[in-house]
Amino acid sequence: MNTDPSLKTRREFLRTTMLGSALSWTVPAFLANTFSALQANAADSATQVATGQDSTILVILQMAGGNDGLNTVVPFANDHYHRARPKLGLSAKEVLKLNDGLGLHESLAGFKELYDGGNLAVIQGIGYPNPNRSHFRSTEIWQTASDSERFEKYGWLGRYFDNACPGADPTVGVNIGRQMPQAFAAKTPKGISLENPEGYRFISSDSNRQGGMSTSEESYRKMNEREEGMMAEAGSDGNSGGSIGSISGGIVHSGSPLDFLERTALDAQVSSDKIRAISKRVDNQASYPQGQLANSLKLVARLIGGGLPTRVYYVSQGGYDTHTNQANTQQRLLKELGDSVKAFTDDLRVQGNLPRVLVMTFSEFGRRVAENANSGTDHGAAAPMFIVGSKVKAGLFGQYPSLAPTDLVNGDMKYNVDFRSVYAGILEGWLKTSSAPVLGRQFPPLICV
Amino acid sequence: MLKPIAKENWNFTTAAHLLNRAGFGGTPAEIEHSVRLGPERAVSQLVDYEKIPDHDSNPKWAKPDPTRADRYMEARKADPETRRKLQQEEQRKQRQRAVELKFWWLERMAKGPRPLQEKMTLFWHGHFATSTEKVKDAYLMWLQNDLFRRQATGNWLKLLIAVAKDPAMLVWLDQAQSRKEHPNENFAREVMELFTLGEGRYTEKDVSEAARALTGWNYDRLNQEFAHRPRLHDAGEKTFLGRTGNLSGEDVLAQIVAQPQAARFITAKLWNFFAGEEPSDALVTALADVFRRSDNNFKPLLTTMFLSQEFYVSSVIRNQVKSPVQWLVGSVRVLERELPPPIVCFGLTRNLGQDLFAPPNVKGWDGGMTWITTNNLLARYNEAALLVQGDTSMMKGASFGPKAKANMQLQNRLQNLKLKPVALTKILTEEERKDKVKLVSALEKRLLQAKLTEKQEKALHAYLDGQSSLDDITILNAIRLMMSTPEYQLT
Repeated sequence: MNTDPSLKTRREFLRTTMLGSALSWTVPAFLANTFSALQANAADSATQVATGQDSTILVILQMAGGNDGLNTVVPFANDHYHRARPKLGLSAKEVLKLNDGLGLHESLAGFKELYDGGNLAVIQGIGYPNPNRSHFRSTEIWQTASDSERFEKYGWLGRYFDNACPGADPTVGVNIGRQMPQAFAAKTPKGISLENPEGYRFISSDSNRQGGMSTSEESYRKMNEREEGMMAEAGSDGNSGGSIGSISGGIVHSGSPLDFLERTALDAQVSSDKIRAISKRVDNQASYPQGQLANSLKLVARLIGGGLPTRVYYVSQGGYDTHTNQANTQQRLLKELGDSVKAFTDDLRVQGNLPRVLVMTFSEFGRRVAENANSGTDHGAAAPMFIVGSKVKAGLFGQYPSLAPTDLVNGDMKYNVDFRSVYAGILEGWLKTSSAPVLGRQFPPLICV
Repeated sequence: MLKPIAKENWNFTTAAHLLNRAGFGGTPAEIEHSVRLGPERAVSQLVDYEKIPDHDSNPKWAKPDPTRADRYMEARKADPETRRKLQQEEQRKQRQRAVELKFWWLERMAKGPRPLQEKMTLFWHGHFATSTEKVKDAYLMWLQNDLFRRQATGNWLKLLIAVAKDPAMLVWLDQAQSRKEHPNENFAREVMELFTLGEGRYTEKDVSEAARALTGWNYDRLNQEFAHRPRLHDAGEKTFLGRTGNLSGEDVLAQIVAQPQAARFITAKLWNFFAGEEPSDALVTALADVFRRSDNNFKPLLTTMFLSQEFYVSSVIRNQVKSPVQWLVGSVRVLERELPPPIVCFGLTRNLGQDLFAPPNVKGWDGGMTWITTNNLLARYNEAALLVQGDTSMMKGASFGPKAKANMQLQNRLQNLKLKPVALTKILTEEERKDKVKLVSALEKRLLQAKLTEKQEKALHAYLDGQSSLDDITILNAIRLMMSTPEYQLT
């Protein structure tokens, strides 16, 4: 069921009105803005998405490589911690205190500000039963929300799109990157991937030559349009089975590779125009640090500000696999993380969109409690997650797992909140959809929004 | 089932299909040649490749490196600063070699005289997916690749034993760490789950018993080779898939291959790889039967598959999404151009989502429609301009990896690279270069071995009509446009 009628209405609106379809991506931004404002004044719900002021948005931030949660949310007063971490352990002076026993890594000043301002929730001790210490497998478990022993074909966000967003615009999910995250894998594929708006287009070679009436770009567009009558099928469940995709006959059955390619080509063309137009509508209004994560979030902020009808954005930051000399690497990465996310929230606040946006971080696992012989840490299990936004119930959630050696399992902390409870809380509390069809069964939702 | 294709159905389309799937495609002349050979001889030429001499040389570093262990020890003893430098130097060298290795293999695919051998090597690489990201030794990656090539169409059990003892695999799935006291179950599990039987065809007990049987198979880091260490082997009694005794690693693999499911699993996966569709249950039964009757040897199975009517039905022909490697190698073959330099090839394939020797995980690349995202489709369209027009500015903004600095360096090297465009006189006759109608149909035949839709043809003609003259620039643009269609992404 489509629980967000405004998305569909918006799409139909764009298709069916002259002004609407002209508005889509050819009209200069100022005109478009004026038009949107007029419509908003008229309280026409169909344009709510275009003005970028209604539905909630989820931003997933993947910290790839397995972040050391213990040195991120630090139990600085715990003796077991310091015994296990003679070199890497952080003292009371080296953390930003959250309370008498816990502090954030000192490079997370951005997060501390958010915490103090009531915009950050820290969920402690997240994990799942029978934790897997393989990067690949554990990432897959988080992406598909599967049990540790089961392989799921589709991602948890893909199942959300399938269940709650049928008929939505392909940009309902936007991944900043090249490969689709497995979390987006869906029965009816949705969502787009892009690395940067400049490269996300058909780059014409015509600039090399003078004159010429027709450009190759126009021809590219025509050659990538679907045959008439195909549009209606887009978004329908494409699984006719036993189909024949014969090119010479021009017969295309939905579900065939050609059908899928044609849809993707159209999605690419439309979203490329749209994204280039939208990403230029607003400028970033906060000072971001350098780095790939900040660049990704800058783009997301512009797309939100420009009114792309997206429910889920996906960004990632890599490098957390700190087997050797962890201190410097993690210091740099967490600073980049905290500063980038803080700038992102500042930017959205100026836009007025912060109340609509929730950021959720995750990493495939935490790391071993005891440091290793190379001033690093090896793959572990339970770790904290961060939830950021102005609507978030700020503070600490869950319980810090015990570090007493007898409570550890194979040297790892034992989780006490299943990550799928966090997903359930976000699906129900933020995306306003039932979580059981998405997660396969009902998990007790951890409500922090 | 599996009746040979009738002679009257052997034509340009079916011959092109064979060359596309059993190899990396053919030029119109190569396809015509296969048509003349007839199906049996065309298939035999691909499958019985040992008759064709292969002169290619190996990368110069493709041999054990006796100083590697010394360097490693030296680094361990050094102070942290020096150690880090030495490690960085070693990593840089291995990365450079990995780039060379990728190119070396792509060249074999693009130019080698034994396309099926390379295609099967690619199949095994995806099947026993091992990544340099963990192995971090280009020589070991080459060694595994060489194993896949040597045993590409041999015997199933022989191949499995060789893979289980392959140094890169020993490192990749942690068999190198397995000891009698602490058997590591990683390889023992994956060999059944992903390589031979599939999930649910064995018990957890089978996994732990197999892991015990496999102890003693280790890796000798010093000599970069397999080591059999009886002292680390658990010689106690085990029960595995119904067989009890003091089982060895060989016994375990033999017991796996003895399962009827083992033949079904691998034949179904091969059909999927070559035909591009899930085989029906009846087809799997027929394929597995052929395989078992030939003592689990791949060659007779492949011959049967490539000659079968089922392989040439219309739902199979031109209905498979090209993998990025198929896209790149196939493109340079039909464009009759050289592969771009190693670093560009690395960027191109990585950018499209298939970095050779670095599959995303032990499951390998999912393939099929998962190759295609909006980003990757546009990247294919833009990379086509690089191959056709030699325009490296197309790669502006493309990412070659997560490391900003390395990425920037590659970008800079790309900007300074000048690539040659396709030599049109090689692939088009003078007549075809002068007549728009003949041009379009010659390009369709060469690039698609099928026709564009009417609408697309019209658009392409409109483009040609809009240009002041039918010069090389116009024709190159037309080729690029034809490659920038959904249809060109299929084979």
